[in-house]
Amino acid sequence: MRVSLRQVVRHRRRYIGVVLAIAIGVAGFISIITMGQDVKRNFNEDLAFIGGVTIIRTVLEFRPQLPLSEFHPDTVEAIQKIPGVTVASLVGMTRLNFFWKGEPDNLSVVAVDENFWKMRNLTAISGTLFSPQAVKERQRVVVLGKRLAQSLFGTDQVAGRTIEMGHDVYRVTGIVGGLRDINMEKSVFVPLTTAVDRFSRELVRDRMYVRCATWDDVPAVAAAIPQAVKAHQSAKNLVVEVSWENLEHVKKVAFWIEFFIYLAFAATLILGGMGIWNIMMAAVRTRTREIGLKKAMGAEDRDILSQFLTEALCLSLVAAVIGVALGRVLVELLGFWIGMRPPEELFFTCLAISLVFAVVLGVGAGLYPSLQAARMEVVSATRYE
Amino acid sequence: MNSHAILNHNLLLMNTKAAPSPDALIQVANLTKTYHNGAGPIEVLRKVDFAIHLGEMVAVMGPSGSGKSSLLYILGLLQLPTSGSYHWQDTDLLTLSRGQQAEFRRRRLGFVFQACDLLENSTVYENLEFPLIYEGVERQERPPRIQEALQRVNLEHRLYHSSNLLSGGERQRVAVARALVNRPQLILADEPTGQLDRRHGHLVMEHFEEIIAVGDTAVVVVTHDPDIAARCSRVCPMEDGVLCGLR
Repeated sequence: MRVSLRQVVRHRRRYIGVVLAIAIGVAGFISIITMGQDVKRNFNEDLAFIGGVTIIRTVLEFRPQLPLSEFHPDTVEAIQKIPGVTVASLVGMTRLNFFWKGEPDNLSVVAVDENFWKMRNLTAISGTLFSPQAVKERQRVVVLGKRLAQSLFGTDQVAGRTIEMGHDVYRVTGIVGGLRDINMEKSVFVPLTTAVDRFSRELVRDRMYVRCATWDDVPAVAAAIPQAVKAHQSAKNLVVEVSWENLEHVKKVAFWIEFFIYLAFAATLILGGMGIWNIMMAAVRTRTREIGLKKAMGAEDRDILSQFLTEALCLSLVAAVIGVALGRVLVELLGFWIGMRPPEELFFTCLAISLVFAVVLGVGAGLYPSLQAARMEVVSATRYE
Repeated sequence: MNSHAILNHNLLLMNTKAAPSPDALIQVANLTKTYHNGAGPIEVLRKVDFAIHLGEMVAVMGPSGSGKSSLLYILGLLQLPTSGSYHWQDTDLLTLSRGQQAEFRRRRLGFVFQACDLLENSTVYENLEFPLIYEGVERQERPPRIQEALQRVNLEHRLYHSSNLLSGGERQRVAVARALVNRPQLILADEPTGQLDRRHGHLVMEHFEEIIAVGDTAVVVVTHDPDIAARCSRVCPMEDGVLCGLR
């Protein structure tokens, strides 16, 4: 072991490229596996919002033969508890008369609960979105869609202004952005509790949006929703809508991205392994006389085999240790960047896997050159020029 | 006395001293070695018989291609003969397994090669340590044995010097010390002075003489230098794979 380590240290310049290749592969593997779930969740969110693929639209459809129905609060609570559901948001829609500059008009009103912004990942373009507290306290506040704000006030600076709907005056808190729906952009958003108080007769809370943690959760959640509804109310007119086509597209894109990332790291590791093989073959060739000499001194085949095998193992283990250190740095950086902290035990599992992998790589790539060295004939080795 | 006169003198000595005896350290009989290549078999050793005793320094002399190095490699168990017998006292060495032969080499034999073969990028200490590592000598026992071997060739002051920085003469003396470090009973030297100037060549031979003077070691030197051969107890001239006139 000491002899092999000495050889590796003495020929470190020869080995540095191979060691770095394996170290990068190991670091990539550790960061992907350790941060994989968190990155995937973030990645899912970004991709999902483009296609809205992790949002399940649940509607109690109007059918003339059935009484008009709404989602009960217990149903909303039960759906929230389905595994894989991040958030469920109850929504009611209606049209209300309103007066603007003395002229009557009507307005599309979307009554939303405190989860709506989170469910659609919406943020304010200006001002603020009304808070859960505003919903709880049934405040008369509204948030405007961008197009509506422009058509009413001709500016985005609308926080603090007022509008009159029905018989009440509402304070505007801000403009919501990121709706990606032209009708929504022309709507006014009111707290659901306030809407129930002020215009419950016109309002039907017949739709619920359910957001899943990842797209992998979507099929299971979509299948569980009817059961959750049936447990609390009639579900005869329940319609569960999922954008299956978009979901498949997004999954395909994600699969290929993931595939190429794994492929890149696998290629790095394979190249590293081939590098070890190649460099050990070269070492055996350049050290042929040394091998012959050692055999003449009484070294057995197994001594030579173990020396070269240990050298290969040292290389891959040193590379793995550097890779683990690099991986740790990457995990910390990624954690800081996406604001998540993976479980420590996952990192240590990866560390153990990396070390086992390094041993397999070292032995696998070093075995053939080491066997070549061990089987070398002493006479031809000592005469090698 | 010129070279030929020395050779004849030694031949005379050998004729009187070289008969196989039961107290011989090694004894070979009917030793042949044949190589095969595309052109057919090449017989490099033909029915070689001889014995070596402790305290002897035997020179094997002959022109290039006469088979003297092949004989040395067979004596060192670095290659096997095609036929014949090779006994170490009562032990038939040719029946040993590859592992047992390696063990025999590290316990009983020491090698000095022509090309001052030291391990590159290693210190003198490391070069001498290898045979002890293979023999399984404890780490704390190694330094005194290495020091002792280096003292015998007057190079103890070079203990931690890099082998790359030694002169040719020093390298060969280190090679002699390495051959001695395991306290072998037979030292096999293949042209040990071949790459040295006259002064350093004789210095190496002086070391061999000191070693055999103790009486517990024998030395076989392959050489084509009559001056070197003249310093040996016996000379075995070889020609075309035949050990001429000696038993």
